[in-house]
Amino acid sequence: MPIPLVSVAVDADSTFRHVSKGIHWMSRNKRVVAAAAVAFLAVGAAACGGKKDNSSGNGGGGNGGGKGAVIVGTTDSVSSLDPAGAYDYGSWEIIDSVYQKVMHFPTGATTPAPDAAKSCSFTDPKTYSCQLQPGLVFSNGDPLTATSVKFTFDRMLKIAAPNGPSSLLANLDSTTTTGADQVVFHLKNPDSTFPSVLATDAGAIVDEKVFPADKLLDGSAVVGSGPYTLDKYTAKQQASLKANAKYKGTNKLNNSQVVLQYFSEASALKQAVKDGTVTAAFRSLSPTDTEDLKKTSGVQVLEGTGTEKRYMVFDAKVKPADQKAVRQAVAQVIDRAGIAKEAYDNTVAPLYSMVGNGIEGHTEAFKDKYGAPDTAKAKALLDAAGITTPVTLAYAWTPSHYGAASADEATTIKRQLEATGLFKVNLSNTEWQQYQKDEKSDTYASYMIGWYPDLPDPDNDVAPFLTKEPFLGTGYVNPQILDLLSKEQGTDDKTVRDQAFADIQKIVAEDVPIIPLWQGKQTVVIRDGVTGADKALDPTMFRFYELGTK
Amino acid sequence: MSNTSKQSGSLRRYILTRIALAVPMVLILLILVFVMMRVAPGDPISSSQGGKLNATELAARRHAAGFDAPLYQQFWDYLKSVVTLNFGTTFSDRRSVRDIIIENGGATLTLTAGALVFAAVIGIPVGLLAGRYRDRPVDVLSRLASTISYASPVFVTAPLLMLAFGTTSGQASPLIQLNVPTQTHILIVDAALDGDWDAVTDILQHLLLPSIALGLLIVGVFIRMIRINLIQSLQGDYIEAARARGVRERHVVARHGFRNALVPVITVLGLQVAMLLGGAVLTEKIFNWPGIGRQLIDYINQRDYVAVQGIVTVFALVVVVISLLIDFVNALIDPRVRY
Repeated sequence: MPIPLVSVAVDADSTFRHVSKGIHWMSRNKRVVAAAAVAFLAVGAAACGGKKDNSSGNGGGGNGGGKGAVIVGTTDSVSSLDPAGAYDYGSWEIIDSVYQKVMHFPTGATTPAPDAAKSCSFTDPKTYSCQLQPGLVFSNGDPLTATSVKFTFDRMLKIAAPNGPSSLLANLDSTTTTGADQVVFHLKNPDSTFPSVLATDAGAIVDEKVFPADKLLDGSAVVGSGPYTLDKYTAKQQASLKANAKYKGTNKLNNSQVVLQYFSEASALKQAVKDGTVTAAFRSLSPTDTEDLKKTSGVQVLEGTGTEKRYMVFDAKVKPADQKAVRQAVAQVIDRAGIAKEAYDNTVAPLYSMVGNGIEGHTEAFKDKYGAPDTAKAKALLDAAGITTPVTLAYAWTPSHYGAASADEATTIKRQLEATGLFKVNLSNTEWQQYQKDEKSDTYASYMIGWYPDLPDPDNDVAPFLTKEPFLGTGYVNPQILDLLSKEQGTDDKTVRDQAFADIQKIVAEDVPIIPLWQGKQTVVIRDGVTGADKALDPTMFRFYELGTK
Repeated sequence: MSNTSKQSGSLRRYILTRIALAVPMVLILLILVFVMMRVAPGDPISSSQGGKLNATELAARRHAAGFDAPLYQQFWDYLKSVVTLNFGTTFSDRRSVRDIIIENGGATLTLTAGALVFAAVIGIPVGLLAGRYRDRPVDVLSRLASTISYASPVFVTAPLLMLAFGTTSGQASPLIQLNVPTQTHILIVDAALDGDWDAVTDILQHLLLPSIALGLLIVGVFIRMIRINLIQSLQGDYIEAARARGVRERHVVARHGFRNALVPVITVLGLQVAMLLGGAVLTEKIFNWPGIGRQLIDYINQRDYVAVQGIVTVFALVVVVISLLIDFVNALIDPRVRY
């Protein structure tokens, strides 16, 4: 708000003086305006003039891209370049490229393998020991030793940044070293997922000479030992990754540089692909944009298995979701293929289990129990429980967190349930911030929740939902499931774990605290001439080093 | 004491009074911004981590970030940051607010200048025509146009312009300056200094529609101000005198009426800065223009207290300073202002 105007009293006697001053003022002002106009015209004329001899120009060539550079557009954003402060996909895209980890997920694999380590193994259920590869160095030439690894994990836990991933290391009690190349992780409780945790970007190794021990590193002068160095970073605009000449890991780089161009709107990203301003686009185009690009000449759309999942969650403390028969009846009639087609143009795939497709231990528990959508069976379930139909069920969703298509998803669910004549669905939507509070405080009988697992381990698809203190409000605690979780977390025996997960999924399909609806597909859009996109599209993390140019 | 020194003393007192009055106004504004951010549900932690951490972990992180500290303590920290002009580091992407102002301020400045140029280029000639041909069809039409301009908020005009001309104007294509080295943080200037005329063309192309959308917000003010001032000027005794001297009507209007009609526009122009800054927020978001306004909306969605408080405070300070400057200039040049 501007401050109030000064009081102006019109004084007839002063009119002439005012006019004179005005003319004088105008004369001076006119000169300024004239100068500005000339400058503006000069710029305009220059704009119509010759083109600077600059091969990289403003478009597809890329910033210093040169031979082998790829420009990738994304709507992701970066919260921190320091691994201790980043717990989001956009940041991890860069961190995964710049830093090395003790373990990593090789392209196409969901089982962790040594990266900076030569070998790793559990010496007992609570001790995990790793031997580092010899001669590792950071991009600035500093040696990467066991001390660096210990520093990294001690630092992560000490800082415990509010926006960081330290919670992934909640089970890590301490880290010790033996000599220059032996690191030992001491766990609080047996945890078979720990090698996978080390392979996430929470385990990105930092240089103790560069990163402060007790606070996050400011700025973008980050140093790692990963396949790339961060050559240039402009927040919310651009990140330039250049091949790290000192990298000694197993990943083979197919390009010399990746330029990440950040977009705030998916529509702008789509247009950039069409224009050729970016040569690849990854995360996140809407289903409509993707369909449009499929029809664009010179553009290819590739799909792969994604990790995003969507659930319909019941709060067992809120009527009528407190009745198992109601939850089972919904599970009996929900048409996942219909949701995938109507709301998402088949850019997502139906999901019949809490453990995602492509993850070890995955079963089709809900399909096995309920089969195809069947109204008669659902009515029988409700009748047997003595429940009068139609059942009025509240279903909540948020328009500000899961993308524009979530509105279509909610209305599709309502339509499907009401079409059976067994349900009357009351939809409500709430902005994300309030939504989180409400779903945790037993406000909604049923609601929409999405999930991005941190690691490709079935435990990460199940435990956060079904522990004593889940991240969402379900009002559901099953001691049998808690026992099974404890069992699978305490062993790295694949057979034992697979059985535990199969049992958990079966119980969930029976009790229906949650209905898995769909699993996202990852989509990458490339211009002709870009290679390796199929490999880059890895469920664990997008692999920039797989991209190349013809 | 001479008359001149009396005058300069009262002018000094007037300036000091205006500055003193601005202080409580800024303070009220700071309180409003602070309270509004706290009253709205959510916080930066739940915004970014709410979908994956349980309630205990979220509470622990809120505590670590100081978001559960007493409000008076948080407000005191905020006040300190304002006084020291060190607005802190954003929570969601760890950027210094000062850097945001510097890096994105140039784009907002460019857009605001573009809007002013558009408003002046359209508003001044139309206003002059309307004033010169009072109550004639051109006057009626221009008054109608200015009323429509008044009544059309940015959130209506900007999407309409984007829909109608977004593709043909090249606006829908993203603005990317991959090769423009940063020197002044003003995109077009940096591109020109680099001699990258492709980038300059690209920036001008992308500036056109948002400048029109934002300029439309104030073009009506220009038309009406010029019109009414020209009408008043043309009724002045000195105009009659000029006509009596046989000066041709065209010269009477252009040299005497027009010049004087422009004077109040300078004042109005300054006061429109507040409106332009407000409009720039939406305009930048709709047209994907990389200014402070677009950043502000993103940070609001992320409940980033530090960023929102810092940016809004800077906006407010800019408006207050400009308003003060206008008052001072008015006091100096306009004898009708009493102090």
